[in-house]
Amino acid sequence: MSLTTNDQNSADEVAIQITDMNKWYGDFHVLKGIDLTVKRGEKIVVCGPSGSGKSTMIRCINDLEKHQSGKIEVLGTILDRNPKNIQAIRKDVGMCFQHFNLFPHMTVLENCMLAPTLVQGTSDSKAKETALKYLDKVKIRNQADKYPGQLSGGQQQRVAIARSLCMNPSVMLFDEPTSALDPEVIAEVLDVMVSLADMGMTMICVTHEMGFARKVADRVIFMDAGEIIEDDEPNAFFDNPKSDRTKLFLSQVLEH
Amino acid sequence: MTTTTIPINSKPRAVKPVVKYTWFKERAFSTPLDTLMTLVFLSVICYLGYLIVDWTFLNAVWTEENVAMCQEATGACWSVVDARHRLILFGLYPYELQWRATLACASIILAIVLSCFSFFWTIWRLSWLWFVGFGSYYLLMEGSLLGLQQVTTDEWGGLALTLFLFSSVVLAGIPTGLLFAMLRRSKLPVISYGISIFIDVIRSLPLLATLFTAAVVIPILLPEWLHGDKIWRVIVAFTLFFACYQAEVFRGGFQGVPKGQVEAGQALGLSSWHIFTRIVLPQVFRHSLPGTINMVVMTFKETAIVIIIGFFDVIASANAAIGTAQWAPYYMEVYAFVGFIYWGFIFLLGQYGSYLKRRLSNTSH
Repeated sequence: MSLTTNDQNSADEVAIQITDMNKWYGDFHVLKGIDLTVKRGEKIVVCGPSGSGKSTMIRCINDLEKHQSGKIEVLGTILDRNPKNIQAIRKDVGMCFQHFNLFPHMTVLENCMLAPTLVQGTSDSKAKETALKYLDKVKIRNQADKYPGQLSGGQQQRVAIARSLCMNPSVMLFDEPTSALDPEVIAEVLDVMVSLADMGMTMICVTHEMGFARKVADRVIFMDAGEIIEDDEPNAFFDNPKSDRTKLFLSQVLEH
Repeated sequence: MTTTTIPINSKPRAVKPVVKYTWFKERAFSTPLDTLMTLVFLSVICYLGYLIVDWTFLNAVWTEENVAMCQEATGACWSVVDARHRLILFGLYPYELQWRATLACASIILAIVLSCFSFFWTIWRLSWLWFVGFGSYYLLMEGSLLGLQQVTTDEWGGLALTLFLFSSVVLAGIPTGLLFAMLRRSKLPVISYGISIFIDVIRSLPLLATLFTAAVVIPILLPEWLHGDKIWRVIVAFTLFFACYQAEVFRGGFQGVPKGQVEAGQALGLSSWHIFTRIVLPQVFRHSLPGTINMVVMTFKETAIVIIIGFFDVIASANAAIGTAQWAPYYMEVYAFVGFIYWGFIFLLGQYGSYLKRRLSNTSH
């Protein structure tokens, strides 16, 4: 699989480079001079209080939000206003959303086959084969002919992950993938994410699952008020946070 | 109602009669007053039912030859329908050419029925179906292009004309309504404000005024070569009227598609065109289904308004059918016949609508 070749041959290759990125909503300065480098195969967990700009930041990476200044380079392509570049980046960057955003009028299988057939021109039979492979990987192959509305939240999120994987992305973005889930199904989604990480996928996850961060992340980033406050490996981050704001946040998140 | 009391896992076939009986017993016979009311209303309903059946079937006269018996019969005199049905169905269309009108109606009805099957729910299949269905209607009714005797549109009438007006308006109105709804969502203020003013103006005018303008005022204002046939002017006006309401129905449908759906499509690298046609539109149609069925039913009934501007639709031809001294006493039978046509169509449409809704709700949410 392409995933494994990525991580062995090009461990030091830069996947995402963000330099001095700024974004405003009207007068509100949401992202203030973000600098971030993600290497291929790296797993980054982004956390921080709500409204800190963490979702906005990862949504800028595939241009779901437009940044107003600074530079974003994804897998060698510079994200500017050129639709071709935007399209090239989106094809190579998968994303999972808080509310799954599966297409309700298509079956699970059709959800997974849509983008490969339309965007990459894959044949139906090939797309189906790929879809079933990834549905198998997220352990939901037996539900392939159901509609999203007939599945639980955890199952829907796993389908959403499989749908992204069908495009064979080099980078996966997760925007609070477990925040809308019932506590008892969070584990099944995290398990899938851990196995993705084990395969060497480059991942950026916005999440409040600190256990996941400790177990999987290469680096944990703490954001507050539109700035990256702390960027460290998990052990250092959780045991010796440098900034007071990080300490306060961690005490609030971990204490219960 | 009754089904809600059935436990989810039980087999409905075995349980239903019992549940119905207890439900009825609880609701209808729980107190002496309830029992009394139930009995009184049941007998009234039975009596009315008997009267209707008696009038419609038991004491009715059925054929034109037996019309003399109508004088003594206490039931309906269906002889009038037997004698005058061709006038009601085809209006002033030349009598000996009415086989053409019959075929023409059949082609439109066939197109309507076939459009109800999901097999035809692609742009190409639907376009072809209606191109053929509509084309054969026009060719058969008008005739000159097929080398047959020409029948101009002012001789078209009856149910044939009603069907033609109705299907033209709905057929042209739905795509136009979709276009209006999309223009209204345009990011260019000139376009979105322009179209909303247009929609509001048309919606604030009565349908009759709109049709009257098309039929009578336009010919006065425009040079003669721009007039066109009256029937086409009326269809265009009616279509705009339909489209403005339908645009609002679609607008609600668009608002029902969460932003996340578009974002998911973008994140997968789909083009705007594919996001619109494969993700947004199918959901818009789902959300706007009940409103659309409502619009279609209303349009079918509202076509009768064209009588006022001089068209000979099914109601007008029904009036003509009882316009002679011989048949005048039997207006009730003629209106019952026309009413049955309207009811049949609208009932079937309603049933189809709820079938569609059930079908779609199995697949989403």
